[in-house]
Amino acid sequence: MSLSDLVLSIADNKQMLGLRYAEWATRAPSLEADIAAAAMGLDDLGHSRVLYGCLEPLGADPRAPDRESDPAKLRNLAYFDEPWTEWSQFVAANAILDTAFTVMIESCVSGSVEVLQHRLRKMLLEERYHFLHGRSWLRSGIDDAPLQLAWREAIEWFGPPDGETASLHGEGKLAMGPAELRGRLEEQLEMKAPRVEIQWKAWDPLRRRGTPGAIDAHTFGMLRGLEEKKYAPPTAAKQAAS
Amino acid sequence: MTGYKRVSGDAVEYEVFARKARVDPLHLVGSVVAPDDDLAMAYARATYDEERWCEMAIVRKDNVISLWQPGEP
Repeated sequence: MSLSDLVLSIADNKQMLGLRYAEWATRAPSLEADIAAAAMGLDDLGHSRVLYGCLEPLGADPRAPDRESDPAKLRNLAYFDEPWTEWSQFVAANAILDTAFTVMIESCVSGSVEVLQHRLRKMLLEERYHFLHGRSWLRSGIDDAPLQLAWREAIEWFGPPDGETASLHGEGKLAMGPAELRGRLEEQLEMKAPRVEIQWKAWDPLRRRGTPGAIDAHTFGMLRGLEEKKYAPPTAAKQAAS
Repeated sequence: MTGYKRVSGDAVEYEVFARKARVDPLHLVGSVVAPDDDLAMAYARATYDEERWCEMAIVRKDNVISLWQPGEP
């Protein structure tokens, strides 16, 4: 795994987080929360574009053509595989996972790689409001199951204590390794992470997750533009086919 | 409806102020309803960020001291 692999993981996760946020833009508990879901979705989709744009300057773009046909090649966490059915899932993702991605971005911005230092800095300003939103809703109390799952996936995503994230930290490319990232996340959220046993042998270092699976077919089709074709006028469909 | 308030439960109303340039005064751009300051900041930014404001601030509506209002003598 390289720094490019890590950046691609952040990008794919932010893309999926943005899409899942956006799905709640008319389903949140209040009009303000609807608007916040839409705005945060747009932010994270924009952040993913910036992150994808960093892959070329980093020197090695790990995106292979099979990403177009196999959703399991996308590097999103299992938490984003299916649309959320409960507001608690939204809040746990907003508070724990969004903040975990922000902490990793902080680690990139404070690291030694110039392109990441410059291009990712603005994200931290926007993420401040995602954090305030997530932490406030978290404090109001949510179901325990999505919270536990989000913590587990965040800790898994930071990587094993002796893995590549730790190596990148050792090289100075990242300002924080897995232990520091977890500590920073706890500090930000003003709470301790639950005790979780991670089977690192089953962990996929590219997708940074311990379980197989992939995003749902509808979302994957939408990402590839296939859903749009369903609504194209017949002449356009014929032209596209020829 | 006279006396209608958007506030319910623990949520309170906040007024949102912003300006586009340093030479402009802050002016009222709208309001949000939220149960605490953190969420009110997040909502204000999400709702009113379509303009390029150089400053945005919120204040709890019940902290505004009214001298008089429309319809009062």
